[in-house]
Amino acid sequence: MTAAGRAVPGAGRLTPLAIGAVAASIALLFLAYPLASAVLGAFVRNGQPVAYANLTLANFERFLISASYQRALWHSLIAGAAATLLATTLSLPMAYALARVAMPLRATIMGLSVLPLISPPFIGAYAWIILLGNNGILNNLMRQWLGFGLPSIYGFPGVVLALALSYFPYVFLVLQGALAAVDTHIEEAATVAGASRWRVLRTVTLPMILPATAAGMLIVFIKAIGDFGVPSILGGEYQVLPTLIYYQIHGFFNLNAAAAIAMVNVGLTLLALAALGWINRRRAVATVTGTARSASRPVPPALRCVAIGYVWLVLVVANLPQVVTVLYSFSERWGDTLLPSVYGLENYRRIAGELAGPAFNSVVLAGAATLVCLVFGAVTAQAVARGRIVGRWAVDLVIMVPFVLPGLVIGVAYLVAFNEGPLVLTGTATILVLAYFTRRVAFVYRSANAAILQLDHRLEEASSICGASWATTMRRITLPLIAPALLAGGILVFATLIGEISVTVLLYSAKWKTLTIAIYEYLLGNDIAKASALGTVTIILTLALVAGASRLAGRNMADMFR
Amino acid sequence: MLSIRGLTKRFPSPQGELLAVDRVDFDAAAGEFFTMLGPSGCGKTTTLRMIAGLESVSDGAIVFDGRDFARVPPQQRNIGMVFQSYALFPHLSVFENVAYGLRTRGMARPEIARRTDEVLRALQLDAFASRLPATLSGGQQQRVSIARALVYRPSMLLLDEPLANLDAKLRVQMREEIRRIQREFGILSLYVTHDQEEAMAISDRVALFNSGRLVQVGKPRDIYRRPATLFAADFIGQANFLPARLAGRDAAGAKLTLPGGTALVVRHAAALGAEEAVRVPPGADALVMARPERIGIGPAGAGLRGRVLRTQQLGGCLRCVVAAEAVPGEITVDSWHARGEPAEGAEVGLTLDAAECLAFLRPEATA
Repeated sequence: MTAAGRAVPGAGRLTPLAIGAVAASIALLFLAYPLASAVLGAFVRNGQPVAYANLTLANFERFLISASYQRALWHSLIAGAAATLLATTLSLPMAYALARVAMPLRATIMGLSVLPLISPPFIGAYAWIILLGNNGILNNLMRQWLGFGLPSIYGFPGVVLALALSYFPYVFLVLQGALAAVDTHIEEAATVAGASRWRVLRTVTLPMILPATAAGMLIVFIKAIGDFGVPSILGGEYQVLPTLIYYQIHGFFNLNAAAAIAMVNVGLTLLALAALGWINRRRAVATVTGTARSASRPVPPALRCVAIGYVWLVLVVANLPQVVTVLYSFSERWGDTLLPSVYGLENYRRIAGELAGPAFNSVVLAGAATLVCLVFGAVTAQAVARGRIVGRWAVDLVIMVPFVLPGLVIGVAYLVAFNEGPLVLTGTATILVLAYFTRRVAFVYRSANAAILQLDHRLEEASSICGASWATTMRRITLPLIAPALLAGGILVFATLIGEISVTVLLYSAKWKTLTIAIYEYLLGNDIAKASALGTVTIILTLALVAGASRLAGRNMADMFR
Repeated sequence: MLSIRGLTKRFPSPQGELLAVDRVDFDAAAGEFFTMLGPSGCGKTTTLRMIAGLESVSDGAIVFDGRDFARVPPQQRNIGMVFQSYALFPHLSVFENVAYGLRTRGMARPEIARRTDEVLRALQLDAFASRLPATLSGGQQQRVSIARALVYRPSMLLLDEPLANLDAKLRVQMREEIRRIQREFGILSLYVTHDQEEAMAISDRVALFNSGRLVQVGKPRDIYRRPATLFAADFIGQANFLPARLAGRDAAGAKLTLPGGTALVVRHAAALGAEEAVRVPPGADALVMARPERIGIGPAGAGLRGRVLRTQQLGGCLRCVVAAEAVPGEITVDSWHARGEPAEGAEVGLTLDAAECLAFLRPEATA
């Protein structure tokens, strides 16, 4: 009898196999299969079946011959890079100020800093048109007072601005964490050695947080080049890869061309991810040790005011879109004044009849996906944390892939795979739930995994010894103890799914129109009043959910996104 | 009865395989208090966890009352276990913690309440039934964990260093308590500890482990008086080791010459293991082991000559640390005689109680 020949006791012999099998079939059926279909589809002309004889590079050739393809690729790269730079430029002083300057309302500041992540970016994007568009409020005010207006917000400037402000929290959180972890003794050593504040920053602090900065920047870049909502609202003629994919599908239903563009998009993401992995490996070597001491040092009052002022300025600007959306929804007239001139509930009365359907759909779809995430996430996290699993690769795949792939790419892959062939799901609620699940299961998994790792494994052993089966132990001991973490992860999944658009926009059908799609349609139809009312409902719903989840988990809202 | 045969545990490790438990054999009888003792990393806890079914078995067999445990999951072994960290379910009340094993057995509610109350009373926990574990003291938590393990009348109780988290005074109190409960329930108990004093105090029998091997099994008194190896002699109690030359062997025992020419006939002689032989200084054939209380101390003249370096009053007994002529290191002597006690610096003579001394011979000298 050998160790390898026996299952680890306590789990029974079938459980690890069963969990592994479920994870593997999900990985195969709902990730590997759609992705493989999309890859194959990218090498076949539109309308032709997938066969060896039909393989062609025609879909990719367009990147060589079509000007619109080349522009979209270039725009994705340049707008992504510019948004990343802008986000980093905003975040670096903010993170430094927060880490080194004593500041009132720190918890509030951290909470406000992640609001842009919570509210769907495309809703905020429209607020920039309300403010800075050709007939925008701020633009009109400027013309009134200064005699000239801003150039058009459509295209590059708007896309970069909205993307940077939507995704800056990712780099800010990483920077803030890294700065908080820097041993302040090192900085003090430099100060004692005679270095000025600026010199310490330049020669000691910044080099130490450089890897973290790069990692944060790459996350923003990946998010920015995968975003569909912002460029579709603010882009106008300025197309990027995700909007190009969207028009290939909605304009021509050319899934093969869309798949090819998606491959290029994934290629960019993979490059960024490889860079991220490389940086993370180097980061492990240069890890800075933390001290329990407060890192705030005495700062001249003037400098302190500047720091506090700057932090709040960034917060206000970043959250302006959300505020404007809410204000707009409650306004009945808002012309060329700073604030609406007439307030009222007219917009809500107008959407009242149209709210129930999409809201119901959003809640049902997001709820079903959340449930699946909870069950799968909890069971696999337990199995992985306790080393009782066969086929870990499948779990890793299910957990990692959604981070790699933009939503639109998952959407394309699902369309290609489930539009025809053995399993036809297009137009059903199931396809949305499955796509949501693959996009978000990582949230639950990671939060459950962390909770289980903190749990003394002897509790589960004690339960087995007392005669409890694996299922009883799970139900009576493990689950109740990780319930707060699970619930927090679940609410986060639910909240972000309520605001999901990039997968939804490709996979929804008339019967399963969600809140975000309804808003998107209002925006396309230029009915901003209705869009803002529905947007406000969505923003407030998601915000309340995330705030509830963070209370439940006993963590600051900002920590839920780290 | 519990029979352990050739029990082996190999862990994969970067340097190949790690042999955590190496061909361990022993039997433990019903109602016995059986302690597995040894330094940390000696394999005692791994052995216990294999018996519990929490660790897979690499090789060997665990048979309990004729039933081979190989294919029996821990849930079905009907054992009770007390963990070092107590492992109380933090979200369940004391009552629910204790009742847990009855609920998993699908017992009727009134029966669960009756049995749980009974055990809670036996362990003086009835006043805390509705409290959560976190609100109890360490000693109380310990008792809850014992109650939880006993309530469903398991056929064997496993205790994994249950006293390690308690302070010294409570530790002594609790070990008496555990012993009392064990006698009361009459249950075969396997107890793991690294504290030799604890093991000696409460066990019917002790199994001494070292680097994955079982060194010796026996009653505490036998292990103390007749340790099988140098390690056992050293690990349990205080021991002096004196290098000696072998002068000859006959029916009476081994004739040894101590440094300074003192002759000693030792009846109990054991062969040294290969590793242990290294500890015998060059030029000697044997080490003579003498417990501190088995060495007489008197005025210089008889036996080994030495000088008292320092003394220490330990309750009723005086401990003298003596530097003896031609003997490396120090010799510890415990003297119970009230009169004529040697002062520090005094010249003394040491006499060994040959009947209670043990000789460990080099293998080549044994032949």
